[in-house]
Amino acid sequence: MKRYALLPFNFTRISGKEVLINELGDMLITPIGSVQKIVDHSLDNEELYKSLVANFFISEELLPSLLDVYASRLRLKKSFLDDRTALHIFVLTLRCNQNCVYCQASSREENSIHCSMTPEMMETSVKLMFRSPSPSLTMEFQGGEPSLEPKIIKYGIELAEEINQQECRKLSYVLCSNCRSLSDELLQICKQYHVLISTSLDGPSCIHNKNRGREDSYEKTMAGIQKAREVLGHEYVSALMTTSELALDYPKEIVDEYVNDGFTDIFLRALNPYGLASDNEDWDKYNERFITFYKEALEYIIEKNKQGIFFREDYATIILRKMLTPYTTGFVDLQSPAGTVNSVLIYNYDGYVYASDESRMLAENGDFTFRLGKISDKYEDIVYGEKVRNMGKIWANEALAGCSDCPIRAYCGADPVRNHSTQGDMYGFRPSSFVCKKNKAIIEYIISLMIEREDEVMPIFRSWLR
Amino acid sequence: MKEKFEIDSNSNVLFVTDQCNNHCVMCCQPPKMKNDFDYHFKKNVSLIKSAPKATKVVCVTGGEPTLAGDRLFKLIKIVRENLPETDIQILSNGRIFANHETAHLLKEVGGDRVFVGVPLHSDYAGDHDRIAGCKGAYKETMLGLYNLGDEGIPVELRIVINKMNYRRLFQMAEFIFKNLYFVDWTAWMAMEDTGYATKNAKHIWIEPLEYIPQLCKAISYLDEWNIPSSIFNIPLCLLPQEYHHFAVQSISDWKTKYLDICDNCALKEQCSGLFATSKSIFKGLKPYPKSF
Repeated sequence: MKRYALLPFNFTRISGKEVLINELGDMLITPIGSVQKIVDHSLDNEELYKSLVANFFISEELLPSLLDVYASRLRLKKSFLDDRTALHIFVLTLRCNQNCVYCQASSREENSIHCSMTPEMMETSVKLMFRSPSPSLTMEFQGGEPSLEPKIIKYGIELAEEINQQECRKLSYVLCSNCRSLSDELLQICKQYHVLISTSLDGPSCIHNKNRGREDSYEKTMAGIQKAREVLGHEYVSALMTTSELALDYPKEIVDEYVNDGFTDIFLRALNPYGLASDNEDWDKYNERFITFYKEALEYIIEKNKQGIFFREDYATIILRKMLTPYTTGFVDLQSPAGTVNSVLIYNYDGYVYASDESRMLAENGDFTFRLGKISDKYEDIVYGEKVRNMGKIWANEALAGCSDCPIRAYCGADPVRNHSTQGDMYGFRPSSFVCKKNKAIIEYIISLMIEREDEVMPIFRSWLR
Repeated sequence: MKEKFEIDSNSNVLFVTDQCNNHCVMCCQPPKMKNDFDYHFKKNVSLIKSAPKATKVVCVTGGEPTLAGDRLFKLIKIVRENLPETDIQILSNGRIFANHETAHLLKEVGGDRVFVGVPLHSDYAGDHDRIAGCKGAYKETMLGLYNLGDEGIPVELRIVINKMNYRRLFQMAEFIFKNLYFVDWTAWMAMEDTGYATKNAKHIWIEPLEYIPQLCKAISYLDEWNIPSSIFNIPLCLLPQEYHHFAVQSISDWKTKYLDICDNCALKEQCSGLFATSKSIFKGLKPYPKSF
């Protein structure tokens, strides 16, 4: 074999194999001992040698002549940065008509006052949103329960449409609603502007109702989903689930609920340590149980697909897109540089701009670390301000201790806000980080499936990415 | 080759030169080193001028047509002016497009109806260069492909399967999806047993029977990623039935042949047949019964 130079890559051992992953997220699965041989220049497997060269793990030239190809591919992997902030979350109100046990948004009673966005605040926020250079802008309405504020939704959308006559961006809208009180009037607005409804469904009624703190919650949500589908079209309603402690024992039942309700995907989301959820007694135990829950549910989903039912797990799909394709994802929680500010900005009912959805939840508990400025402040002062500059120093996992040498770094992301809220500093300490532990466990599990059951799972995984 | 173009023919060829800057080990039309650019240019211009306006596609080929330099771009311009509705397929090793300006020039003269078919021999540079008979060819071809992609010129990757690359067909498919994700389609081709392929048979000849499993795995993979792929020059009776829809009648109509046993085959009409120009015939041919 020729002389060669090493290109940057990390590696780990999974399922009796050495898994090599380079800066592009390209992965090579090799026999144990391969890395030692690569380093020692004692490779004896010609086909492996060729694969290592072809896939940018080693280079036969000191200056790789296809460095420009490598650079072009890296640019594509990081292309979520090209246009800057596309997702703009408008927290319309803290008022809510449910009492979810794990509420992350510190919601208040339905008839509370002084916790909703005024039309003036909406106007200022929408104008600020248009300062983002992104050619596509998504307005996402959150709460509380934003459907309790139909007038302000209508006002916000119509204002954005009006401004957009000059701006000519690609506008899209998402309404995050529990679907309890979708009025005909609100649904007509949604229909007119192609608003996507993102609702919460935690599983069968016994789980959903207990989580949501109302006896009739499941029934009301299902009726709302049905109504929204009828008016807007089936594909305009999607659902998210949050894995409460109760849910941990029912992976199959939850998947079945989604399949039976006509959904083609599910996002198996762990609880976030914000709001009520941070009172959770034993995070370590929850984290362990969530990983088991996730694996069981994923296994069951793979089983469904083998039976010919197209059904996708969204978290796995995001990770698989990073692993198996040359493309990038728009998912803010797993990006480096982090999705905060770069991909998302929050306009809160309190008149302030926050760095992420989690940031405004922290503010409800008196922690204003990620409050970037007033909605009336200048765009430049918010996006290039001191707070963002400080986050900028620690929002790339390529340069973080405990991340930079992590084998699966290319599939993960940096999250200063999460580090701050769970560990008390933005930099974070990986050895005791639950997020790190969870992501590692899930990503390595997916890789183990690809190694141990390649022929069975790969066609399914690829079908999720088409 | 034809002296006149036909509207629906798949062999309306503008032959630009016999010269080539690659020396592929399986070349079915070994290059000749004489200056023939002007001779072919004149002939091609008159072919274009007399062609029916409804001609669907013309194929610009050689040798390596880009060696004609300015004459090539002039020729494409003449096609564009005389046959505005006709697609122009250029068969090139793509090396010249390593220079971005050249790729840009092609886009300028060819517009939206030009596409380029580029052979890729391996994902591994060393193997590609050995097959292309030219050190450094891989690098230029790869950069050329990126520049064509950057100009938005559709690219068809052509993989001629031989003994020096058949072991890595699946790795090549993976490489294509990851590194050449912008290509529009891929064509996987069996060799024609003539020219260098016959001369170098000992080192490069491989029977389709020996690589069909790897080929199918590669094709399935690209299909799962929605990269359209086709199989050229392999008769249907050698392919598993579920891969028949990837096979196309790829051999120019004037050099297609069928065997006597093919007369009894239910699928003769859809089949690529064999190269009339091939010295040998593939092993394992077996007609599909008429009741099929």
